[in-house]
Amino acid sequence: MAGTPLARVMGWLRERLPIDALEEFASHKTVPKYRGSIWYYFGGVSLFLFIVQVTTGILLILYYQPGVQTAYESVRFTVVHVRFGWLVRSIHTWSANLMIFSVFVHMFSVYFTKAFRRPRELTWLSGFVLLLLCLGFGFSGYLLPWNTLAYFATKVGTAITATAPLVGPWLMQLLRGGKDVGAETLTRFFGLHVALMPAIFTAILGIHLLLIQIQGMHEPHGWKDAPPAERRTMPFFPNFILRDLLLWLIVLNVLAILAVMFPWEIGHKADPNAPAPLGIKPEWYFLFMYQALKYFPGKILGLDGDAVGVLLFGLGGLLWALVPFWDPRLPSGARNRALNWIGIVVVAAILVLTGIGLS
Amino acid sequence: MGQDTSQPISRRSFLNYLLGLSVVGWAGSVLFPIYEYFKIPPKRDDEPTSVVAASLKSLKPNQGVIFKFGSHPGILIMGIDGQLRAFSAVCTHLDCTVKYRPDLQKIHCACHGGMYDLNGQNISGPPPRPLTPYKVTQRGDDVIVSRT
Amino acid sequence: MSRRALATLLVAGALALLTSLLAALIAVPADAAPAGVDQCYTCHHDGDTPQALAYTKDVHYQAGVTCADCHGGDPTREDKDEAMSPARGYRGKLRKSDIPAVCGRCHGAGPSEFHAKFGLTDVADSLAAGAHGEALRESEQGPQCVSCHGVHDIAHVEDPISPVSPGRIAKTCAGCHADARYMRDFNPRLPVDQYAKYLTSVHGRLNAQGDPRPATCVSCHSNHLIYPVKDPRSPVYATRVPETCAKCHSNPRTMAGYHIPTNQYELYRKSPHGVALLQHSDLNAPACNSCHGNHGAAPPGAAEVVAVCANCHQANGELFQRSAHRDAFAKRNLAGCVVCHGNHGIAPPSDDLVGLAAPAPCARCHVDGPSDPNAGVIRHMRALLDSLRTGQVNADRMLDRASQLGMDVADAQYDLKDVHQALVQSRVAIHSFKLNELADAIHPGIGVLATARKSAEDAIHDYYFRRQGLAVSTLIVTIVAVLLYLKIREIERRQRERDEC
Repeated sequence: MAGTPLARVMGWLRERLPIDALEEFASHKTVPKYRGSIWYYFGGVSLFLFIVQVTTGILLILYYQPGVQTAYESVRFTVVHVRFGWLVRSIHTWSANLMIFSVFVHMFSVYFTKAFRRPRELTWLSGFVLLLLCLGFGFSGYLLPWNTLAYFATKVGTAITATAPLVGPWLMQLLRGGKDVGAETLTRFFGLHVALMPAIFTAILGIHLLLIQIQGMHEPHGWKDAPPAERRTMPFFPNFILRDLLLWLIVLNVLAILAVMFPWEIGHKADPNAPAPLGIKPEWYFLFMYQALKYFPGKILGLDGDAVGVLLFGLGGLLWALVPFWDPRLPSGARNRALNWIGIVVVAAILVLTGIGLS
Repeated sequence: MGQDTSQPISRRSFLNYLLGLSVVGWAGSVLFPIYEYFKIPPKRDDEPTSVVAASLKSLKPNQGVIFKFGSHPGILIMGIDGQLRAFSAVCTHLDCTVKYRPDLQKIHCACHGGMYDLNGQNISGPPPRPLTPYKVTQRGDDVIVSRT
Repeated sequence: MSRRALATLLVAGALALLTSLLAALIAVPADAAPAGVDQCYTCHHDGDTPQALAYTKDVHYQAGVTCADCHGGDPTREDKDEAMSPARGYRGKLRKSDIPAVCGRCHGAGPSEFHAKFGLTDVADSLAAGAHGEALRESEQGPQCVSCHGVHDIAHVEDPISPVSPGRIAKTCAGCHADARYMRDFNPRLPVDQYAKYLTSVHGRLNAQGDPRPATCVSCHSNHLIYPVKDPRSPVYATRVPETCAKCHSNPRTMAGYHIPTNQYELYRKSPHGVALLQHSDLNAPACNSCHGNHGAAPPGAAEVVAVCANCHQANGELFQRSAHRDAFAKRNLAGCVVCHGNHGIAPPSDDLVGLAAPAPCARCHVDGPSDPNAGVIRHMRALLDSLRTGQVNADRMLDRASQLGMDVADAQYDLKDVHQALVQSRVAIHSFKLNELADAIHPGIGVLATARKSAEDAIHDYYFRRQGLAVSTLIVTIVAVLLYLKIREIERRQRERDEC
């Protein structure tokens, strides 16, 4: 059948793939328009930032050389000598920070809108795993430039894992590839950061997105009972997608502005024999845990204070991950004010602790 | 309702045209840096492990030449016997740059009169340690100096 | 019985009694004499043997040491063959190499009655462990106890008559150490002029006047356990010389009455010389003996100071000697280098030493005013040094910052080394005290600073180029965003219209 070249290609594909069915399915997908609609975008922004990370990450791998003698030098080479290397590197670092911020906002928005409820428990669980992987990406990637801050932050961070009860020391040695942070740590983190974790992340992300597409967008509380006139929606394709793309475009430009106006430093090459710089602390997304641990006394009931702290955080995380399962059991009913209060306390605590840690 | 076909359609296609053009422009502004990024940069290692110090043709016996080895100067000497030797040209006393003295067949530091022999040994004056030696290899006409 | 027979009996009995009485008086009892008896000494003294005559004055004699205690044999026997029998341990005149072992029976490690009684120390082992012990093991002619202390007439160490008393020890040591032929058999490289030099030193001159306090050979080298100078255990090993001199020279009680300071060691330790020698073990660095001499120890005179310092600081010394300051200082009997840099507590030199106000020493003679034609020169020289130094600091800081930000400054940093070199050379050139010579040393550095500044400016331009690129891409994005937004609005408007139809 004659037509534009694009139409002819699409026609050829339609005979072989269920594109028609997909189009039919997609045309029915709607997104609720209400006061809280804005939160729907944060999932997409997180996805976009992940795509930016993969792209800039692949570009960086072209010049990065892991190894104690070459890591710092290769990053310096990329930033100083490679054309636009400074841009790729700064975007990668800024995007990492923005992505972690974005996934936290996305996670809390899902929590407060109770979007994790039946039938979306799996979406929540997979999302939680993705959040943990994000933090893992941040931690492992931070070491790769092998500068002073990275080296000592990694030392402090892996030392804290050692305080976990029973598995702590084993876990720390597993992470470090030995007793100390060194060449083995670097190669290990590199393999995790560019191969293992991206693979797992992509798989789980695929599941996460598939679930969303299959189950449709979450509707706010009381949506079903509202009269049809008040149930305003917009089609997912093309309206929501186009708006998403517009936001992504703006985010990309924000990244470029950040990369040019606030470029990331190369720092000085790590010297394991030098003393740790004063006030060394992990990156801001770990600060709330790091700061909280500082408040734990040295010994609690005969147990190591840090171990108790790590255990409590682990427990807290587990409870948070399982919120779809204990939420219905709370007596507050559908609106579940108790859940909101818990959430507010958690957000406030994180903000306050991070604030204290930064000052 | 009758459709005013000319105005909205041309405005719509005008919008589409502009949008398409600007998207192409934007794509270019993203792809251009990526394309440039792939270009192999001129080999500019800030702390190399080896450099081409000089060409054999340009060296005469009993001559020393200073070359850049990363961020520090090095000195390549062709002795009176034709043998090539290379050292770090950073004097071990106060970091001045040393020079070869053909009249003495020794390496001399002009700052405080420190003297090194052709093995890099500090033989006179204030330098407390010998000069760091480098390895010299020849590849065709190139004289390659590398860290030991 | 008859009266004649009785009389004979009486006389015989009286005679027998008398004879036995006489015999009892004359005869020597079969067994040993009372304790402390030294028959050897008695016999030889009676025979006027010189050693025995001398031994009367020996401290050992007064302590109760018998001849047999050293020579072996039985001091209780009168009979020569019994007393001097090898079976009873007699060994006659001792071999020189055996002497330390024999003396060591009391003056060694082992417990003997004399140890506790006289508080003796183990000097035999000390001697054996040191260079003298080594020499004795190599040759019979080597030094042993008798070489220094004498024999048979050994006086107490502090007795002026003893060859190892403070007043005589130097001459005793010189007995071997000034004998070139003797020393050649042991260590041909050792000099043999120490005694001659010592006599010219302050220590030697005071010693010759009978003062027991100044240093003698053993004060620095120790007496029995003498290590070679190159052995790090020796008190006169290069890095230990200052503390050895300080043992006396920092002690106010020892130095009472000599009217010289006692803080030289404290000052020296903090000076660059002290730090180099004592902390960095740089054996090139000077200790007390480098400037004062060791055997001929005396402070150099004011006019000689420059020559002494110039032994190491050659370039500075040469420049000074042809500068105007040489005669100016000599006229006022000022000790060259010491005037500005001090002698023991030499402060690490800085550009602050050049100027017209404290702490610059120039201010002690030069006045900041029209009356002094050199005031302007001093100011100018200081300004040159300051400009180069601050220029270097600023350039270093600027380039380091740019480097951390990711700018390419490798070439500029390489070139900055020339600035460092110019600074080092200018601080030598200042000793000519001539403005044009200083300017010649500084000038190359100023040129490099200008190029470094240009490199930094280029890096900043690169920075701004990035911002221009950003402005362009932001403009494009804004255009796309606006158009996209319009497109969305248009789509939604059409959807609304369609829904209404």
